[in-house]
Amino acid sequence: MIGLKGTLNVIDNSGALLVECVNVLKQKVNNGWGSVGDEIVCVVRRARPISGQASASAPKVRQGDVRRAVIVRTRKAVRRPDGRFIRFDDNAAVLLNNKREMLGTRIGGVVSADLRMKGWGKIVSLAPKVV
Amino acid sequence: MLNALRRCAQRLMSTAAQPYPYSNAAIIPPPPAVPAPAPTKAGKGLMAHLPQRLLTPEKLQLLARFGKRHPERILPGSVLQVTTKYAPTSFTGVLLAIRRRGADTSFLLRNVINRTGVEVQFFVCSPHVREIKVLMRAGGRGSEGRAGPRMRRAKLFYLRDAPDKMTAISAGMRK
Repeated sequence: MIGLKGTLNVIDNSGALLVECVNVLKQKVNNGWGSVGDEIVCVVRRARPISGQASASAPKVRQGDVRRAVIVRTRKAVRRPDGRFIRFDDNAAVLLNNKREMLGTRIGGVVSADLRMKGWGKIVSLAPKVV
Repeated sequence: MLNALRRCAQRLMSTAAQPYPYSNAAIIPPPPAVPAPAPTKAGKGLMAHLPQRLLTPEKLQLLARFGKRHPERILPGSVLQVTTKYAPTSFTGVLLAIRRRGADTSFLLRNVINRTGVEVQFFVCSPHVREIKVLMRAGGRGSEGRAGPRMRRAKLFYLRDAPDKMTAISAGMRK
């Protein structure tokens, strides 16, 4: 249940560390709360310090940027169609650009398998572990 | 006149034994084709009878193992592995809590995956749950799984704030 002011850890290598949700997109139902697989607009609150090198893993965002992201883990339990409930210990997101493509190239951490049902197969295939 | 005709037709079409003696307008429904099973008439009602009727014997045995009186009951603090029919098919974790509600009995498993805690709540009587295997039992009697320490609580939610205790349990598993 991520809404305005909700903070999420960023688990890709785009350079951001912590983002704060500003808006949940396409939510006519659910009262404006975002869950796993929902796209949000967020502000980068903490990012990795940008050094002068231009390497492949250089951070692509800096603090204060407004970007889009998809929620991949929530602390609020999410119900699967077969009746299970899944809950993680933190809220996490993966940054996207305006065309729903990932900004980073790798994902470091477990993601929820509900992403596959919502159409984020690319993220699920990049994740080291899907639960 | 039309009403009288309608009433006549209804009474002719129904298979009622006797008409209602105090009113001509009463409609007596015919007795059901399948009679009510004897246990529902024993005074307990339909909801107590349904779990016996709708659940398979294997599910009833599994439910009994999560009960409070079974000699080989599953205790909180055990490490279980649940296999389900749909992806992701397998989840292993420490049993934190058993929520006993008859046919709606569920249990909560916690595991730490890639430094993130994950908790999954499974419903025992779900047809999607294929198998529950006890990898380590928390005290108690039983032949399944290795013996582990007995927990002194029914609900182990304190493990959420104690990562060292979780690592101790996983270390005990690996030994």
